[in-house]
Amino acid sequence: MRGLLISDFNIQNLSSYLKNEPNAPVIDSVTTCYAEVFQTLLDDTAPCWSARPDFVVVWTRPEAVLEEFRKLLDCCSANREDLNGQVDAFSAALRRASKRTQALFVPTWTISPFHQTQGLLDLSANSGIARALMQINVRLLETLDGLPTVHPLWTDKWIQLAGPTAFNQRLWYLGKIRFSNDVFKAATRDLKSALRGLGGRAKKVIILDLDDVLWGGIVGETGWQGVTLGGHDPAGEALVDFQRELKALARRGILLAIVSKNDESIATEAIAKHPEMVLRMDDFAGWRINWRDKAANIVDLMTELNLGLDSAVFVDDSPVERARVREALPQLFVPDWPLDKRLYTEALLSLDCFDSPWLTEEDRQRVRMSAVDRIRKESRDQVSDLEEWLATLKTTVKVEELNRDNLPRAAQLLNKTNQMNLSTRRMSEADFYAWAKAQDRRVWTFRVSDKFGDSGLTGILSLELDGSRARIIDFVLSCRVIGRKIEEAMLSVAIKCAQSAGIREVYANYCQTPKNKPCYAFFQRSGLTYRDESTFVWDSALPYPLYSGIRLVCDGEAAFEETSTDRNQSELITSDHLR
Amino acid sequence: MKPTKEELIGIIYESLDEVNEQLPSDQRVQKSPDTILVGRAGRLDSLGFVNFIALVEEKCAHKYGITVSLMEASSSEEAALENVKSFADSFFQRLSDAVPEV
Repeated sequence: MRGLLISDFNIQNLSSYLKNEPNAPVIDSVTTCYAEVFQTLLDDTAPCWSARPDFVVVWTRPEAVLEEFRKLLDCCSANREDLNGQVDAFSAALRRASKRTQALFVPTWTISPFHQTQGLLDLSANSGIARALMQINVRLLETLDGLPTVHPLWTDKWIQLAGPTAFNQRLWYLGKIRFSNDVFKAATRDLKSALRGLGGRAKKVIILDLDDVLWGGIVGETGWQGVTLGGHDPAGEALVDFQRELKALARRGILLAIVSKNDESIATEAIAKHPEMVLRMDDFAGWRINWRDKAANIVDLMTELNLGLDSAVFVDDSPVERARVREALPQLFVPDWPLDKRLYTEALLSLDCFDSPWLTEEDRQRVRMSAVDRIRKESRDQVSDLEEWLATLKTTVKVEELNRDNLPRAAQLLNKTNQMNLSTRRMSEADFYAWAKAQDRRVWTFRVSDKFGDSGLTGILSLELDGSRARIIDFVLSCRVIGRKIEEAMLSVAIKCAQSAGIREVYANYCQTPKNKPCYAFFQRSGLTYRDESTFVWDSALPYPLYSGIRLVCDGEAAFEETSTDRNQSELITSDHLR
Repeated sequence: MKPTKEELIGIIYESLDEVNEQLPSDQRVQKSPDTILVGRAGRLDSLGFVNFIALVEEKCAHKYGITVSLMEASSSEEAALENVKSFADSFFQRLSDAVPEV
C-alpha cells in the first residue's frame, strides 16, 4: 500500500516504522516537507498526489495550524470565533484532500504537558489551554463526521501508552521530531490495524479455552462452585472484567467460540449456572468441548461457522496447546498469553486485530444471527434432502438498489467477503457509491430472511451495461447464507435486469484469489455457459430459473423493473414473474 | 554513579537495536565495535543518527541520572564517530564532564 504522511513536524520516524514493522499490510510511505501542510492539502496538483496514495495521515500540532491557539499558548488573548473559523478551515482542507485517497487518517490534536502550566486556569473558560484543546478537537471531529473516508485517530491513547517521555525534547530540538518513538510505534500499530480493517482483514472470531481462561481453575475437578470467578479475589474480578470485554467485542460483531478439553455437560453447566459468569451459552457462536485435539476441533468449528482459519484468534493459557495449534494451523492467530489473569484484559485489548471502520446493525446482531444459524443447521441435519429442507425455510430475498442507507453495510460486505466474491474488489464507501451511480451501472443489495430469522443484508450484485452485453462486476454473498439458493436468486435478478434493458448476453469474469474458490464452484454449477478459463455467459433471451422456494421482493427503486410505473412501491416478485 | 565502558557499550547496542527497528532487515546496523556509524561508509543517515544520539542520551539519563549532550561532542570531534568503539571512548571521556540529570 502507498501511504502519504503530511505533518508540520518531522514524521519520518513514523514512515520508517510503517515500512519496517513486520505485520501486514506492507506499506511504502513517503513524507512531505513539514512546513507545507495547508499547501499540500489544498493543492490538487502537488507532486505527492500524482501517485494516488492508498492512505494519507495528516498529523499536526494545533499551535502550528491554528494561529489563535498559538496565542493561547503564549498567554495572549485569543478570539474564540477566529479559533473556530481556523478549525473549520483546516477541516475543509482535510475534506478536500480526502477526495484524493481511499482513507485519510487524522490524529487528534494534543500538546506537550510542558505547556499546561497554568494550574487552575488550564480548564478556565476564557484562557484555559486544556479546555481550548478539548473544544478544538471536538469541533474538528464534528466537522469531519459523516465523511466516509476520513478517520480521526485518538492521539492521547498513544501518548498514554508511551508514558512520561512521549513528548521528547531531545528529538524535538535535534530533529524537529515531535514525539518519542514509542508514540510512533503505537501509532503504527493502530494505523496498520485500521488498514487491515478497511481492507476486510480484521479478525472475526475469538476462540476461547475455558479452564484458566474464562474462569480460574479446572471445572472438571472442582465443579462450577469451585472455580475462581468474581468475588473478592483479584484474579476472580479480573476474569469477570475479561469476560465483559469479550462481551463488548461480541457487541461489535466479533464472534465468540469455545474450544476446550472438558466434559461438555460439566462446562456448559458452569457457564449456565455460575452467578458471576458474564458470558452465557447464547453469547457463543459455536463450541467444541470434548477431549479431541484442539487443532482438529478448531478446523471443525471454523467449517461450521463457514469462516477461514485466518479470520480467527485462539486464546489458550497453555503454552503447549498454543504451540500445538500454531504448528498445526499456521493461518490461525495464536497470541502469547500472560500467566497472570489480571493481565488478560490488557492482553486482549492489545491484540490490534479487530479494528473495523464500520459498526452496522448486522454487526450488532451477529451473535444472535449465529445462534439462529446453529438452529437452522440443526434443522438441516434432520432432513435428508437439501431441496426439501430449503422448501421448509420459507426464504425471502429482499432486493434493494444501493442507496445512502444501505451503503455502509454494503461497503462493509464488499470489503470483508472473501469466499463468495467474484472480483474481490476493495473500495471505500465513497468510491463504491460514486462507481455505482454511473449511468451504465446497476448495484443491488440482497437482504435474506427465513422462518428462523433475519440474516440481514448479506449480498451485493453489480452489473455494468455495455451495448448488447452486461458484465457482472460484483457478486458478493456472505458465507452465512451460502448454499441456500440465494446465489441463483441474485443471478436471476441480474438477468431479469438485462432482459429489461434489451441486453443480449450477461457474463461474469471470475478473478481468482486464494480464498474465492466457492464462488468459482458456484458459477461452474450455475448453468451459465463456461466460455473460457474464467468467463461464464448467459444468453439473456432465456429466463434464468429462480428456485421456487424463494420469495423475491423488490423494494423501492430496484432497477430491473425499469418499465414499471409503480417503481416506488414495494413489489412482490415471485418465481412466476421471473419465468 | 557513572557507567563503566562496558555498560556504555551496552547502552549503545540497546540504542542500535531500537534504531534498527526503523530500518529494512538488509540495512540494519551491526552491533560490533568496528561498525562505522555515519559518513560515506556509515550505516546511519542523518535522521538515524539523530535517533541514535537521542536514545543514547535518554538511556544514560534514565539509568545513571547523567545529562550529556552527545550531538555537540559529535560535531566537534569527527573522529569520535568513526565507529562504535571510538564513539564509546569519546562518550566515556565526556561523561567525566557530565552533570547529573535534574
